[in-house]
Amino acid sequence: MTRKQRLFALAGLVVLLLIPLVVQDSYTRHVFIIAFIYATVAVNWDLSLGIGGLFNFGHLAFFGIGVYTAAILTTALDFSPWIAIFAGGVTAALSALLIALPVARLKGIYVVLVTFAFGQLCMQIVLSQGDLTGGAEGLVRLPYLKIGDYSFIRDFKLGYYYLGLALLTVSVIVLLFVASSPFGRSLRAIRDNPEYATARGISVARQRVLVLVASAVFTGVIGGFYAIYLRVASPEVFGFSIGTLVLSMVLIGGAGSILGPVFAALALTFATEAMAGVRGLEEARFIVVAVAMVLVLRIAPSGAIDIFSRLINRSHKN
Amino acid sequence: MDGVLIPTLVSGLLLGSLYALMASGLSLVWSTLGVFNFAHGALMTLGAYVAWTVTEQLGLGVALGFVAGVGAAAIAGVLIELLLVRPFYESRNMMLITVMTTLAASTIIERGISMIWGPRLKQLPRVIDGQVSIFGAPVSSHEALIIVLAPAVLAGLWWYTGRTRSGRSLRAVGQNQDAAALIGIDVPRTFSLAFGLSAALAGLTGVLLGSIRFITPGLGADPLVNAMIVVIFGGLGSLGATAGAAYVIGLIEALLILWLGLYWTPSVLFVGLILVLIFRPNGLFGKAS
Repeated sequence: MTRKQRLFALAGLVVLLLIPLVVQDSYTRHVFIIAFIYATVAVNWDLSLGIGGLFNFGHLAFFGIGVYTAAILTTALDFSPWIAIFAGGVTAALSALLIALPVARLKGIYVVLVTFAFGQLCMQIVLSQGDLTGGAEGLVRLPYLKIGDYSFIRDFKLGYYYLGLALLTVSVIVLLFVASSPFGRSLRAIRDNPEYATARGISVARQRVLVLVASAVFTGVIGGFYAIYLRVASPEVFGFSIGTLVLSMVLIGGAGSILGPVFAALALTFATEAMAGVRGLEEARFIVVAVAMVLVLRIAPSGAIDIFSRLINRSHKN
Repeated sequence: MDGVLIPTLVSGLLLGSLYALMASGLSLVWSTLGVFNFAHGALMTLGAYVAWTVTEQLGLGVALGFVAGVGAAAIAGVLIELLLVRPFYESRNMMLITVMTTLAASTIIERGISMIWGPRLKQLPRVIDGQVSIFGAPVSSHEALIIVLAPAVLAGLWWYTGRTRSGRSLRAVGQNQDAAALIGIDVPRTFSLAFGLSAALAGLTGVLLGSIRFITPGLGADPLVNAMIVVIFGGLGSLGATAGAAYVIGLIEALLILWLGLYWTPSVLFVGLILVLIFRPNGLFGKAS
């Protein structure tokens, strides 16, 4: 990451920290919170897909597992929502370990198929174990998040806003460290030249297991936060639609760039929420996002953000 | 046990037939182009909806609905190839990119369907009414038709890809594109052909399934996942292995439903799949590459 990018990211963070001073209505803040959640899922997906080059299409399953862990712990077992949120990270990491066992040895398309099927299987389990998960209706009325007597829903969701932003920020900082660490460099080596990386003593199987588990931790935590914030868990979180939406955030932001998907997630969440308010566009917004994703793949495979930075660099040279 | 076993085997045969139709289409596109079509399930749904419109709304009868459904899926398949796959032939990560573009296609088709046809459940009339008995197990004629039709279609496909000129061009392109182009095969046209044919198979599955299950925009999602499990087991390379795996999975699934119930079957099947892959990373029937 260059110095300029670091300053840019820091400026972005400051702006996001100050926004609640300006934005007082709870709907706009809700969209921001959802955007923070999607952004966290997208950047962690970027770790395995973009940096690790692992064809992981079951990433949303880790998110859903976090959602249902938090929901089941708080409704059926009366856990504190605080514990439930972080428990989501633990179960997501364990499930990542399970799926990593076969994935470590598979090649190419079979990685895509197994991880994708894993996500669908999670949905089927949730649907079939209705006693615990609420089946197709899902689980509702999860407890509110509180510190002492202060409920996070008060002051136009102020607590949720900052907690969501904090989780996103911590996750991004951790990922930036991981990406520039020797581990991150070994991942890029495997992605760009697996034969050479193996020849230099990097175990492809071990790094794949590690990257899947690492990318699942924060995804599960943010899933727990999602469930506690919305106070519901529904099987939709495993579905095609959210998966394609978050994938488009990774691709439009630029796979492997970490910060790109964060900005893409913010922009796309606001764009799709704006379209959701327009009559007739409720369904069409998913089509618009899908088309945008294809166009980005066609025109700018390294992400739409990359085009802007290239334009900026060019104007500097002139 | 005797009273249940035969109906279970017959229902396994039915599942296997549907999976074989689905999975053979996936395998056909994979072995020709090296593309895994994630929109395959959505194409199946599209076939069922178009067949419903022609049969029920326009009142033109089941036969015409059947043809229209299969035809619409085939056309959509060729369009996917032209618009979402062809631009990426030269790309280094073509396999990965086409996974994403066909995923996008499946979103576009599914959402488009629910915009056009709305959320109400629909069902196609059966192609033939009445019941027949297979080894003493009563089966609806329609389901018996599927059980007979699937092997016939697979045999036809096998004959086509092995014995006819255009069918063999599919395999030639799959084996070596450059060499195929050198001996005068129109490679891009062959790609479109593979996609269209595979989509027609998806449409056929959709039309057949549309009178057994209710038609919803998500009709194709479950069969796609099951077809994926089939191709993971059987490997994507050959038609025979894919069809064999389809029947094995169908029978195992029916037996699991009998023993464990509907709820646990998907999980047990998936755990079995993971175990197989840990020991045989190329699938149960796959050869080490």
